[in-house]
Amino acid sequence: MTGDPLLVRTLLACYPAGWRRRYGDEYAQMLCDMHIHRRPVLILDSLRGAARAHGGLLMSTRSPMTTALWAAGLFAVAGTGFQKVAEDLGDRAGGVYAWLVAAAAVAFLALVAAATPTGVALLRGRDVGAWKYVSVPVVGAAAWFGVLRLAQAISDGHGGHSTANVAGFALVAVAGIAVVAATAWAASTVLRRLPAAQPARLRPVALLVLAAGMAISTVAALIWGLRVRAVDPSAFRGDHGLLATPFLPSWIGALLLMAVATALATAAGRRQLAGDSLIGHGRRP
Amino acid sequence: MGDELGRWAEPGLLVLASLAEGDKHGYAITTDIADQVGVTLGPGTLYAALGRLEERGLIEGLPAEGRRRPYRLTAAGVAELSAQATRMQGLAALSLSRLRLATS
Repeated sequence: MTGDPLLVRTLLACYPAGWRRRYGDEYAQMLCDMHIHRRPVLILDSLRGAARAHGGLLMSTRSPMTTALWAAGLFAVAGTGFQKVAEDLGDRAGGVYAWLVAAAAVAFLALVAAATPTGVALLRGRDVGAWKYVSVPVVGAAAWFGVLRLAQAISDGHGGHSTANVAGFALVAVAGIAVVAATAWAASTVLRRLPAAQPARLRPVALLVLAAGMAISTVAALIWGLRVRAVDPSAFRGDHGLLATPFLPSWIGALLLMAVATALATAAGRRQLAGDSLIGHGRRP
Repeated sequence: MGDELGRWAEPGLLVLASLAEGDKHGYAITTDIADQVGVTLGPGTLYAALGRLEERGLIEGLPAEGRRRPYRLTAAGVAELSAQATRMQGLAALSLSRLRLATS
């Protein structure tokens, strides 16, 4: 593979390591045989294949509900980042921000609805040991506030771009992401331990509503940024650094994360729907 | 198996149909499909299909010849292709007969 053209090696590197171990040599040979460097459409196809291979790994190892939970976690992180972008700019984009918040709230409620049967099973005491996982977000939130206080103490009296302030910000951000990840892990563990009976169509509909809510929020975040830039071109000044974040890369980064989370949630909803359809066919007389 | 095949039908079926002629490696499969059906399977699409077919035991990889690994149909692959082709033949016959009725 080391003798292959750079483009071939790059395209191959986009695939997961396990996939490369199995197919890498023959795939590289085929890309060479196809003269891939002359065919941009096939380059795109290879990149799509790599994305599918990565997605396939995620999808093959997780149930749709677990994927939806991790998507919601990613969306929460992205949404928090977006809120940080938007906080200093006020509502310069009309009512778009309200749409974003409303759609995100609908998405959150849909996720709660999808998990409700498991919550009921938990309350009925079907698995007492599962309660310890419920404490994860509570303990995590408390720990995060502790980290926040620590970060405030570290950065107190220092300038916006000082090392202390950046370190404090990074500490709060990393701790927040860790709490969200731990919460998603705990919730997916509870869901796995308590496979409660579902009312017909509840979960696929809820997951599709979750994805729709995320999609609307993402589009609203896009429109919000475009409007803010239209109303005040100096709004996204590029010199604010990481701390006060109303700058272009922050907005684009938050948007990208929201879009990835939406894609994951949509895939989860579709898989749940397909799974329920197959079960439904099987039950028909 | 048939319902599962339906979700990723076309590239998978094209690959099965190509391998029905004999063992082929990836590039030979794409050129055969392009020549016979006029469909260009991109490398990502082809290997996604090969992976799924192999995972389901419908094809199997043979020892590599240099860096090219030929694939061949398994008995399950032959049965699957046959079942799908019969189903498509039935659907095609039905569609054509109804179209004739509609236009006559």
